[in-house]
Amino acid sequence: MTERVAIIGVGQTKHDACRADVSVAGLIREAVDRALEGAGLTLAEVDAIVIGKAPDMLEGIVMPELWLADALGAAGKPVFRVHTAGSVGGSTAIVAAQHVAAGVHDVVLTIGFEKQSDGNAMWALSVPLPFGMPVHAGAGGYFAPHVRNYIEQSGAPDYVGSMVAVKDRTNALKNPYAHLHQPDITLENAMESPMLWDPIRFVETCPSSDGACALVLTSEATADRLDVPTAWVHSTAMRSEPTMFAGRNSVSPRAGEMCAADVFAQAGITNPLEEIDVAEIYVPFSWFEPMWLENLGFAPRHEGWRFVEDGVTEMTGTLPVNPSGGVLSSNPIGASGMLRFGEAAMQVMGTAGDHQIDGARKAFGQAYGGGSQFFAMWVVGADKPTT
Amino acid sequence: MSTTDDDVTIADDGSFTAPLVLAYPYDRTVGPTIGRFLTGLMEKRIEGTVGSDGRVYVPPAEFDPVTGEPCTEWVTAADTGTVETWSWSADDERAWAMIKLDGADVAMMHRVDVASADDMSTGMRVQAQWADERRGAIDDIATFVQASGDGEAGQ
Repeated sequence: MTERVAIIGVGQTKHDACRADVSVAGLIREAVDRALEGAGLTLAEVDAIVIGKAPDMLEGIVMPELWLADALGAAGKPVFRVHTAGSVGGSTAIVAAQHVAAGVHDVVLTIGFEKQSDGNAMWALSVPLPFGMPVHAGAGGYFAPHVRNYIEQSGAPDYVGSMVAVKDRTNALKNPYAHLHQPDITLENAMESPMLWDPIRFVETCPSSDGACALVLTSEATADRLDVPTAWVHSTAMRSEPTMFAGRNSVSPRAGEMCAADVFAQAGITNPLEEIDVAEIYVPFSWFEPMWLENLGFAPRHEGWRFVEDGVTEMTGTLPVNPSGGVLSSNPIGASGMLRFGEAAMQVMGTAGDHQIDGARKAFGQAYGGGSQFFAMWVVGADKPTT
Repeated sequence: MSTTDDDVTIADDGSFTAPLVLAYPYDRTVGPTIGRFLTGLMEKRIEGTVGSDGRVYVPPAEFDPVTGEPCTEWVTAADTGTVETWSWSADDERAWAMIKLDGADVAMMHRVDVASADDMSTGMRVQAQWADERRGAIDDIATFVQASGDGEAGQ
């Protein structure tokens, strides 16, 4: 990076199964207005807008930048659209950061959104294509074999998936914006939850949510002038790989490992477990918490599940993971990655409210998408980066 | 060319083709601004919003096209207006027109039922004809017809 990049505003909607009270434009503005309020800026002061959303089939909105231009305040300004399936919220934030880092734009507004109630992601992800086997399985059906493979490789006990679900849904009680609030969840009743895609139980699955997230990113000079709570971008990285190829490690994709190694190296981090205070990682099915802990290098191979069992990822643990409740508690797909990035920023800004991790100085945000093939990550800090 | 089954065809050059038909239902939610406009239509009332520059948008703009700020001031337009421009659809045997309603500053698109293109002209006065059964949709205004009393074409 050339110029330092500051995050000075993080806004999100109340996420819910159906936000019939707002249009998509209104949903976006709920997040945008909150982000701008935190930044102490108005829409007029934004120089450029970067928007991302879930794959077009999911809600049948093909060109959001076209018909949301007025709601985005894009009149007379550049607007960019980013696509990378479920990781789009993360890659959209990275594209926004790159505009600031390059010195091209001073104040960049970035938005991720999805109104899942307007569509049906499960079936949109199950289109039978000619010349291929029609699986009709949705995301859960696609990822269940990866989870099964992980359990067999690592020897993880069957209750680990439910432990993650209980943790994330309990954390969500501290997040007023979270979609799911389940005060009555226990490990016992979680493990009685119906098996949806063996070995993934219903309670171990993300909800379908309507929601949006927005970030305001600025140059160092502007952040210093405004003097509002600020998170500094220490590093960003993205990697991709094909959906399927012979010999692919679907449990721990190479692209994810490369992305993590790069993002930590850029930030000057040699021991992520020690140096990262809190992580927001994309866990749409609870088993992905231990899987990603290993993929990212927080845990040794086949040991991620022990971190869960030992409470390492609890809010009181060495590496709190998803204190917001994570994707397991709110999943507006097009926004979910940006929520991870934004929640990481909130932690080092000290604005995470009841789910704040005390003293968080360095935080990690991760998003993945497609068939575990697109990865986007950033490290943010309370202090300006020195590397 | 040969066909291997109901779907797949193989061309003389050996290339394969199969049809892919996507038919998929979605819902659309409109939010409070368009929701108020649609509620008005059910009650034979056409409402619009006022932009930052004082322009009246009918149908309403949820966010100001100039500043992006929410539009919160409402006005009720008449169900009569003036054709700003139009095109004749031979298939439909009616005109599609940009109609600036009295009390609005921008035109909205709707249809105009007249006998032939010869009866259409820019500047002609038209009147909304309401559907008997209204459901909160743009076709609660069934169509526009030439306004009675001032049918002079080609002003």
